Amino acid sequence: MYDSPISERQLTQQEIKFSARGVQVYYGDNHAIKGVDVDLEDKTVTAFIGPSGCGKSTFLRCLNRMNDTIDICRVEGTITLDDQDIYDKRVDPVQLRARVGMVFQKPNPFPKSIYDNVAYGPRIHGMARNRDELDSIVEKSLRRAAIWDEVKDRLNAPGTGLSGGQQQRLCIARAVATEPEVLLMDEPCSALDPIATAQVEELIDELRQDYSVVIVTHSMQQAARVSQKTAFFHLGHLVEFGETSQIFTNPEDKRTESYITGRIG
Amino acid sequence: MPLQWLFLIVLAIATLGYVMGRRRALAAAHHDRRRLHSLPSYYGANAGLKAFVPAFLFAVIWLLVQPLVVTNTVSNMLGADVIPDTSSRGLVMSEVRRAADGLDAAVAQGFITKDRARSADADLNEVTESLKSAGQIITSELTRPILNAAQRYRAMTGAGASIMSGLVILIALAGALWGIWQAKAEFRARNVVEQGIRALLIAAASIAILTTLGIVLSLIFNTIEFFRLYPAADFFLGLNWAPSFSGRGGSSDLGVLPLLWGTLYISLVALSVAVPIGLFAAVYLSEYASPRARGIAKPLLEILAGIPTIVYGLFALLTVGPLLMQVFGEDGLGWMQAGTAVMTAGLVMGIMLIPFVSSLSDDIINAVPQAMRDGSYGLGATQSETIRQVVLPAALPGIVGAILLAASRAIGETMIVVLGAGAAARLSLNPFDAMTTVTAKIVSQLTGDADFASPEALVAFALGMTLFVITLALNVFALYVVRKYREQYE
Ligand SMILES: Nc1ncnc2c1ncn2[C@@H]1O[C@H](COP(=O)(O)OP(=O)(O)O)[C@@H](O)[C@H]1O
Ligand SMILES: [Mg+2]
Repeated sequence: MYDSPISERQLTQQEIKFSARGVQVYYGDNHAIKGVDVDLEDKTVTAFIGPSGCGKSTFLRCLNRMNDTIDICRVEGTITLDDQDIYDKRVDPVQLRARVGMVFQKPNPFPKSIYDNVAYGPRIHGMARNRDELDSIVEKSLRRAAIWDEVKDRLNAPGTGLSGGQQQRLCIARAVATEPEVLLMDEPCSALDPIATAQVEELIDELRQDYSVVIVTHSMQQAARVSQKTAFFHLGHLVEFGETSQIFTNPEDKRTESYITGRIG
Repeated sequence: MPLQWLFLIVLAIATLGYVMGRRRALAAAHHDRRRLHSLPSYYGANAGLKAFVPAFLFAVIWLLVQPLVVTNTVSNMLGADVIPDTSSRGLVMSEVRRAADGLDAAVAQGFITKDRARSADADLNEVTESLKSAGQIITSELTRPILNAAQRYRAMTGAGASIMSGLVILIALAGALWGIWQAKAEFRARNVVEQGIRALLIAAASIAILTTLGIVLSLIFNTIEFFRLYPAADFFLGLNWAPSFSGRGGSSDLGVLPLLWGTLYISLVALSVAVPIGLFAAVYLSEYASPRARGIAKPLLEILAGIPTIVYGLFALLTVGPLLMQVFGEDGLGWMQAGTAVMTAGLVMGIMLIPFVSSLSDDIINAVPQAMRDGSYGLGATQSETIRQVVLPAALPGIVGAILLAASRAIGETMIVVLGAGAAARLSLNPFDAMTTVTAKIVSQLTGDADFASPEALVAFALGMTLFVITLALNVFALYVVRKYREQYE
């Protein structure tokens, strides 16, 4: 670790946001996550990589308890957010999800206007006292998602009428509007063209200033470009976790190396 | 030869054609099916279809045309002097037909010989006697012209049947032979059979469409006939419904508005029962219920849809009506005179419509992509917030479509109204008054012994037409709304 550049060493000093210990996830009899221990840092982009079906999405969805919406899913072990167990009986998953936002693989804007899409979260959480405040939250979120200039003249047009890349940035704006502390992104660029992908990546890099970002990706280049930390999953195990530069240049595990060089996956 | 026999013979020829065609094709390929263009069964099917279909079609057409030709010929045979002033040609012809049928029966039971039944100068009394002993009813005195006409009728019908049987068998044989002759290795039997099946399916579809067209046309013509006898303005704008069966037309008031009002009022009550309950049930079933609860509740709810409406009618008459009377009747609030009322029929009809609304809405709510719900939960929305603000708005056009379809069922419902709402046509705002609907009045206008050509009877067609136009418009609008909704996620 001594040979890593100073800037990256500074990043590793961020405080821990999420801490998982011995996490097991079952879908019925299917054991999807097998004993994962990991610490995710604040103001850092962490990438989850690994072959399809290895459990990246499943683990990501553990972090905001989205797995609760799947009847057959069972989660064991502990996951803490700011040292508080998120699977504690007293924790309201609805509150948790307001703190841990999520962007999905396919852009899923609601069949509402662009404005209402972004205002959805602030409205249900009562974040604005009046219309002006709501307007400014919407504008700020759209600006953060780098889509304000494209939609500012048609805030009342349906969100479903935007292009794929715009829709995904709208979904990001919708997620940041609730001012989450962590943003989970499950393959946010897999349905996008290269230009839109570049825009979203740029955006992720900016979001790092304020949030902890966890991104699942199938693209090694993307992981290398946007993340500081990388976790490699394989068959439900967390095989290797460390500095992105370390994982991509000098992986410790044979499986990581095979995957990165394209021999498994 | 009876028709069943003819049918069986043609079927036997077709089967034989199948077997022979298949065998000949195999023989042509030296029993190596790889050398055939199609599977052997296709060669058989080709011969079988060629034997059966043309023969069958020919028989059907012949059976449709023959009675027309025979009746026409025999009718022309009857001179004008045979037809009494008090009667018409049609009535005399039906007498002829009755006599002919009677002779058939008498011959079959052996009361009269075939020759006697056929001879032109048979003794009238003897024939009448034998007809009577065969248990045939003869309305008026059998006269010589009628007897002769009946004999001619029998002869022609008999000859026609024989000729048809011969021709049908010939056609079947020719078709089978043609099919068998075609069974050579390079013949594309598969394609030919495919086309044959296509033609059969098209024929089935056209019969369905033509029948609908026929029904609509008969509705239209009878409606036009009605408006010739009764002014359209009085029908559409009249505020009074008071048909008279005693007098001839003119003394009746046939205004449709009270009936339409009753229809709309009862449907409105029904929908205001069915829509909330059905919708909430659908939301529960599709969003909250565990798979187990859903597995039990959904079929139970759909049993409601299987209950015949007459049973609902009985329920209205015997249970709901008296129940409402206890609360709103003379002993209670005093708003209700009798158990039959708009409220009674509306409530029961609403119960009938619940499964209709709920199962349609359930499908529509399920069609809202899971990604919408995930997006909402991911933002920290609760389940009811998600349903209220994302799922239902996304499903709304489809739900509106479902409601419109339910409305068109409510408008067309008859039995519940007949038993639950009473028979009085009236324009009133009180939901505890007895009222009646368009459908119920169609029934009562046609179940009397009125002259079928009177406006009092023909008005049923105009009512039916009005109803048809309203429900058609509702259905078209509903389909339009539903289709527009579908485009959103594709
Ligand atoms: N909703 C679900 N129900 C049942 N099994 C699931 C579900 N989602 C994922 N799985 C299973 O969990 C395992 C991990 O899946 P997932 O987390 O989606 O992998 P990844 O995102 O890495 O491709 C797979 O074996 C998959 O079949
Ligand atoms: Mg995945």
